[in-house]
Amino acid sequence: MQLKRPPAQLHLGLMAASCALLSSTVRAQTVDDSGQPLQLDTDVLYYKENAGRVQTVEPVVSLKKDFGDLRTLDGTLTLDSLSGATPNGAIPARRPQTFASPSSTSLTPQPGKKTTLYTVAPGDLPQDPHFKEQRVAGDLDWSQPLGLDNTLSYGGHASSEHDFDSVAAHAGVSHDFNEKNTTVSAGVNEEYDRIHAHGGNPLPGSDYQLYEKESSQTKTVSGALLGVTQVMTRNWLTGLNYTFDHSRGYLTDPYRILSEVDAQGDAGGYLYERRPDMRTRQSLYWFNKLALGSPVLDLSYRRGKDSWGIASDTVDAHLRIDLGRGMYLEPHARWYRQTAADFYDLYLSAADPLPTYMSADPRLAAFAATTFGLKFGLSVGRNGELSLRLEQYQQRPSEQSSPLPLLQGLDLNPDLKATIVQLAWRVVF
Amino acid sequence: MPLSRLLLLALLPAPLLTLSGCNALGVKPWQREILARPAMAVTAAPMDAAIDDHIYFSKEAASGGRSFGGGGCGCN
Amino acid sequence: MSRSQGAPAASLPHAPDFVLASRESGTIAVCFAAMASPCELLLETADTHAAAELGQLAAREAWRIEVKFSRYRPESIISVINRSQGHAVRVDVETAALLDYAASCHTLSGGRFDITSGVLRQCWTFDGSARLPDVAAVEALLPLVGWEKVRWRAPHITLPAGMEIDFGGFGKEYAVDRVLSLVTARFAGAALVNFGGDLAANRAPREAPWQVGVERPDSEREARLLLEFSQGGLATSGDSHRFLLRDGVRYSHILDAHSGWPVAQVPRSVTVAAGSCVEAGMLATFAMLHGGEAESFLAGQGVRYWCLRDAND
Repeated sequence: MQLKRPPAQLHLGLMAASCALLSSTVRAQTVDDSGQPLQLDTDVLYYKENAGRVQTVEPVVSLKKDFGDLRTLDGTLTLDSLSGATPNGAIPARRPQTFASPSSTSLTPQPGKKTTLYTVAPGDLPQDPHFKEQRVAGDLDWSQPLGLDNTLSYGGHASSEHDFDSVAAHAGVSHDFNEKNTTVSAGVNEEYDRIHAHGGNPLPGSDYQLYEKESSQTKTVSGALLGVTQVMTRNWLTGLNYTFDHSRGYLTDPYRILSEVDAQGDAGGYLYERRPDMRTRQSLYWFNKLALGSPVLDLSYRRGKDSWGIASDTVDAHLRIDLGRGMYLEPHARWYRQTAADFYDLYLSAADPLPTYMSADPRLAAFAATTFGLKFGLSVGRNGELSLRLEQYQQRPSEQSSPLPLLQGLDLNPDLKATIVQLAWRVVF
Repeated sequence: MPLSRLLLLALLPAPLLTLSGCNALGVKPWQREILARPAMAVTAAPMDAAIDDHIYFSKEAASGGRSFGGGGCGCN
Repeated sequence: MSRSQGAPAASLPHAPDFVLASRESGTIAVCFAAMASPCELLLETADTHAAAELGQLAAREAWRIEVKFSRYRPESIISVINRSQGHAVRVDVETAALLDYAASCHTLSGGRFDITSGVLRQCWTFDGSARLPDVAAVEALLPLVGWEKVRWRAPHITLPAGMEIDFGGFGKEYAVDRVLSLVTARFAGAALVNFGGDLAANRAPREAPWQVGVERPDSEREARLLLEFSQGGLATSGDSHRFLLRDGVRYSHILDAHSGWPVAQVPRSVTVAAGSCVEAGMLATFAMLHGGEAESFLAGQGVRYWCLRDAND
């Protein structure tokens, strides 16, 4: 037995070459994949909000083909069917309110056009009960190695619904080094949307009663991503992503209105919302995968900020627990909070001068949200899986009331509760 | 948090990147048995993630972060 | 003209055919044959079902590598390259990684390790007899030897007509490391992969380190060298079965790629322990290529090694 001496130059070189050989083939695990290049995922999502609000059934089908050598093609088809009542942005009042459905159509009957009106009882949150939407979306993504240490991926997306069409394309590269312990990636994304609301796009900021229209509008979104993933220890993988995107064009919601109230809180009229025609968003996303013995913890934190004044924090945690015999349980918890957009208001005061931008969309309000869920999975066949996910989502806005006399005791922006049920089936051929 | 601070945080991983042979931060190829488990992949359940992303995109103001590639929808 | 080629999906030579044996101290051994060697996978488990599944995984991977890289199989990528008659052949990611490794080892060994030297087989037959080839016959083959004559730029390799390459120098060790990596991705316990003496383990069993016996051929000392092995790779290069003997001079089968003649004073066997089986195997091969300097070479590398020579060397 010889005494150990510091490794000589040749040995260092051989160690490096051997490490490089074994790590470059670590990812190309071809044995099990040689006879199973096609994977079919079928998911059905059922989403239902409280108080008769939005519910949706969304089947998603995804086919993934492995052409060997880590070259994969991924195709996804999504069908979205929404219905239910959706708030139109106006606040409750002490007397009945009548609106057109959808809000982009005229209150007064137009020749040759169908007019549907609905009346909201005093004290109730105005929501359009006739909301119905169907959406079809398709995605195609390609990924392949570029040399021994790099990956190239690119893909496209197209979707269509009655009032909205979208096309998008993305491309990205990633580079592995340090024996595949470190990966850096960069990507870009470009999206082009066309918005043509039912009954025509209302002129942003215009009077709801006057029914002023404009032609269909477009918007573009350009985004970029920079990321790094690092293996820290045998059971800890961490990463950081920085994303940036810039939207410009028609960013207003054509169906949202705001109530214009007097000093008492009585709504004298309504205005269509108006948002800026530019929005810049940034986010920093830190994620971790930690193997705690057999269970695996997925823990992430995201900080977001945008040019509309909205700042957000998200903490997301999943814990996957293997129960043996191919079964697993995965509890999930998510905490989210956001500040309100600069131009967000529950309502407008008639006495104040008209702001340049305004919106009462609850999605731009300040709120905290939590999600709690449980997923159960079962292995079926060879590499197949059946799973059921049940989650409960709750949004609690911070601003829900007003000091104005007529609005006392009214909940102007109620909590949102939603139940999420997802059934998934994976088959590998 | 101002833009400059956000960018500074993005540069944090820089010290993690070293290029010297086999002795930098990380594990040897034969120590990757735990990392090779499907549950340890960065996106272990891509369908779930895509569905969640869509739900939160339509109900909240922030979106994305993990990756992108999806397109828009009329829900925001 | 470039032809795109790749190894076909592994057509297994025979159905998974292995034997399970329970060893003492709670390990199960799965035995099968591959790469002209007895192979075994030792697992620290009592679950025979899991052991059988992992054994099948190991055997399939060993056979996959054998079918893909064996120069004896006409459908292997090596045979395709050797038949290419000077045309470029496109190789896949795995073959490219192995070619890069061969190129690195060629540089690190100062040109002594050369995967193109197999063509010298045409005039050398190491059957223990006294038949040495003509000097002229060896000279005639030398122009067909030399990695520097091969054009390798991923993913295309161009071999001049008449030249051949062969992964035999590290193929088995590579298979050992690959099988270990596949097994440990699916198995939480200690595992040892042993393909005819080239072995690798992920860690020692809870009870005691692995006990490895290395054959010590024609030696008057103990029949076996017993090692305590925890983790990493172990490989042995030996000379005892293939050699020529003439006028009392022993000619080993380790050929010097520059002269075409055997390296002088090669040890009977060299066993090296290192981080992985490919690394250990290549160090053992380098040591053999150093002939009489084998021991001082290994001593200078700072690894555990065992070098065996005949009494009359």
